[in-house]
Amino acid sequence: MTQAATPGSMPATTGDEIDLDVVRAMLAHIQPGDHQEAQELILAALQEVNEHFGYVSLAAAEVVAEHLGTTASRVYGLLTFYADFRTRPRGKHFMLLCHGMSCYALGSQRLVQELKDTWGVADGETTADGELTVQVVNGCLGVCDRAPFVKLDADYHGDLTTESFNEVLRRTIDAGGSWKDADHGH
Amino acid sequence: MATETESVLPRLTNRADFETFRSRAEERWQGMWDGAGTVVSVGLDSSSIPKGADRVLAVCRAALSSSDAIVREVSGNGALWMEPWVEIMRPGEPPVVYANIAPEEVPVLLAGGLRERAVGVRAESAFGGIPPLSAHPFFRHQQRIVLQNMGIIDPWSVEDAVARGAYSAYLKVLFDLSQEETIAEVAAANVRGRGGAGFPAGIKWESGRKARVLPKFVVCNSHEGEPNVYKDRKIHESDPHRILEGILIACIAVGAERGYNYIGGEYPLAIKRFRKAVADAERLGLIGRNVLGSGKDVFFRVRTGGGAYICGEGSAMMYSIMGVRGQPRTKPPRSVEEGIWKRPTVANNTETLANIPDIITKGGAWYASIGTEKSKGTKLMTVQGPMATTGLVEVPMGITLGTLINECWGGMRPGHTFKGIQTGGVSAGPLKEEHFDLPVDFDSLTDVGGMLGSGGFAVFDTDVCAVDFARYLTAFNRYESCSKCVPCRLGNPALVEILDRIRLGRGSLADLALMERTSKHIIDLSLCGLGQVAPMPLLGMMQMYPEEFRAHIVDGVCPAGSCPIGVPQTVAAAAD
Ligand SMILES: Cc1cc2nc3c(=O)[nH]c(=O)nc-3n(C[C@H](O)[C@H](O)[C@H](O)COP(=O)(O)O)c2cc1C
Ligand code: SF4
Ligand code: FES
Repeated sequence: MTQAATPGSMPATTGDEIDLDVVRAMLAHIQPGDHQEAQELILAALQEVNEHFGYVSLAAAEVVAEHLGTTASRVYGLLTFYADFRTRPRGKHFMLLCHGMSCYALGSQRLVQELKDTWGVADGETTADGELTVQVVNGCLGVCDRAPFVKLDADYHGDLTTESFNEVLRRTIDAGGSWKDADHGH
Repeated sequence: MATETESVLPRLTNRADFETFRSRAEERWQGMWDGAGTVVSVGLDSSSIPKGADRVLAVCRAALSSSDAIVREVSGNGALWMEPWVEIMRPGEPPVVYANIAPEEVPVLLAGGLRERAVGVRAESAFGGIPPLSAHPFFRHQQRIVLQNMGIIDPWSVEDAVARGAYSAYLKVLFDLSQEETIAEVAAANVRGRGGAGFPAGIKWESGRKARVLPKFVVCNSHEGEPNVYKDRKIHESDPHRILEGILIACIAVGAERGYNYIGGEYPLAIKRFRKAVADAERLGLIGRNVLGSGKDVFFRVRTGGGAYICGEGSAMMYSIMGVRGQPRTKPPRSVEEGIWKRPTVANNTETLANIPDIITKGGAWYASIGTEKSKGTKLMTVQGPMATTGLVEVPMGITLGTLINECWGGMRPGHTFKGIQTGGVSAGPLKEEHFDLPVDFDSLTDVGGMLGSGGFAVFDTDVCAVDFARYLTAFNRYESCSKCVPCRLGNPALVEILDRIRLGRGSLADLALMERTSKHIIDLSLCGLGQVAPMPLLGMMQMYPEEFRAHIVDGVCPAGSCPIGVPQTVAAAAD
């Protein structure tokens, strides 16, 4: 569950710094009544930042820590424990590749392999050109009748074969756009 | 449409207020279905939206905007195979459900076409040659208690839920029953925990009630981080008030001042719909101080997980709620003694709690009349793999495995040959055709190496290799191990390493014994339920498909043709 450090996965565009004033504004609505509640809200705060920016930088983690009266190390400990968080920027496109049991039984492993062989990217990594970040989901995306299934930016693709998978990826990258155009969670 | 806009809700301060609110909701509900107008409902949830159900709804709305037809958003109905679906009730006719409707087909559908897509009538009897939906094999064996509103009510609407009976059990518990009486019903129902372990809820609640330390808490475990199941998110998406009511009842019964729901962070729609339900219940005054003048206070918090399977384990979940890494701890003390913030905490699975409202309104004896001797009630079960009618069903405990596979889930899709069914997720082994006569309940599958667990089944076909599947299942546990204790942290990677050796054709027969020995260490010495069962899928695969393991090791062949040793020699020979 810890994210392996992936030095090779820094996208080419690192100018994607998180604007800390935006983080502060985002956190303003989180107003815990006491210290216990503040601790209960750390994960929620990190989720908001992660959703919005695609990752949580150390500086953003410090802002969260400050807002909720805790330490940056505590916050960073959470970021590196929970699989949903990323500590590095996403590439332009973001793929959730379902590796639940339906997807496994119908060939998601071949897609994972294809990502390695053809696109040179593994779970949690970003392609060298910064186009694509992949997160393999160790759960089920809930569309098991269309396995193997991926969510790519705002779009969903099911019943994938290696060919249709490559085709979808190519089409998405050629079309430009980015994961930021996605509606956050339906 | 009630969607995310704030509905104008009255503040209810006593029981009579609630009764008035309910009669108005019932009137509105009955008025909608009295057969005078047209009602179009589209099922939207996490499985149908990716297939375009949201666009289907938008087209329906646009097409009917200038008519007086009612167009409604409901949730999916569990039948993944018929999505996106549209239900149309025309004046004087019963509601008819049409399957697999694409957005561009909506105009034809609304104009009366596509009758061949009608899968059923949502009524007792057939209409115009279309059979009742309940006669379809997918629905025929179902008895829906937890899912009784699924695909029928608008999950954003508290009025819909209340019109269909929501919160009447809560009122009974607030005003008519003592804590002991409430718990007695739950005990009489003998409802066992649906999160996997099957512990009787009545006993847990009684320990919670007796706990002396204050405040106390109740937590609903809606983490559902397993890769093989999608039931709890569907309850949230279809009937969030049922879950909330179950939690609030538990709070009153054990004397907890606050209820929690811990929802997997990967389920944004479930979270949104549930949060809306909580906000509405707060506005109505069903949560807060002196609820409906009963003198009882109950508060509520929603917390979300971060994608770590281990956080479904009870103590890890509580750590996660408290904002630390979700790593299990040794017990005792049990959570009912020391849970969240070291206070007595009763934790139950979502499905367990969603059963509670009907147990209270209809009685524990009624509930106990459903199911088998030791497993009462119904169970939500999901299937994955190449099935004809994939989906979530709610069936009485004790249904046979064969009925589930061949009727509810329609058997294999064309082009796929059944090989086995993985049970108990990542915590047990597979079963085969010879087990199809077994009743599915908490105990029967365990004797043959399977497990009901949370009710998620994965059917696999002859293209799936037993060694490779064992590797997948073991690798899941390796990845999700929280790393706190050595046998689990080091044992599971060792198993994966050996399995990889075998997959590559470099295994030896001694590896089989080595895996068994390593498994025993992991099972016996691990701290929590993850490690204690992590090797079970591997052991199950070795027991059910010993010849496949031997084929890799002795013959250097992967009979399914999926391991990196290469294509089967027989096939290769035939191709020459
Ligand atoms: C590794 C692990 C993961 C678990 N995941 C869940 C889960 O996602 N949901 C759940 O309700 N129970 C889960 N459980 C079981 C819980 O520990 C606990 O038994 C259950 O939530 C109690 O509720 P119940 O008695 O109503 O089943 C898990 C247990 C283990 C060991
Ligand atoms: S058995 Fe595994 S998951 Fe459980 S506490 Fe030990 S290391 Fe963590
Ligand atoms: S397993 Fe991939 S969608 Fe369910």
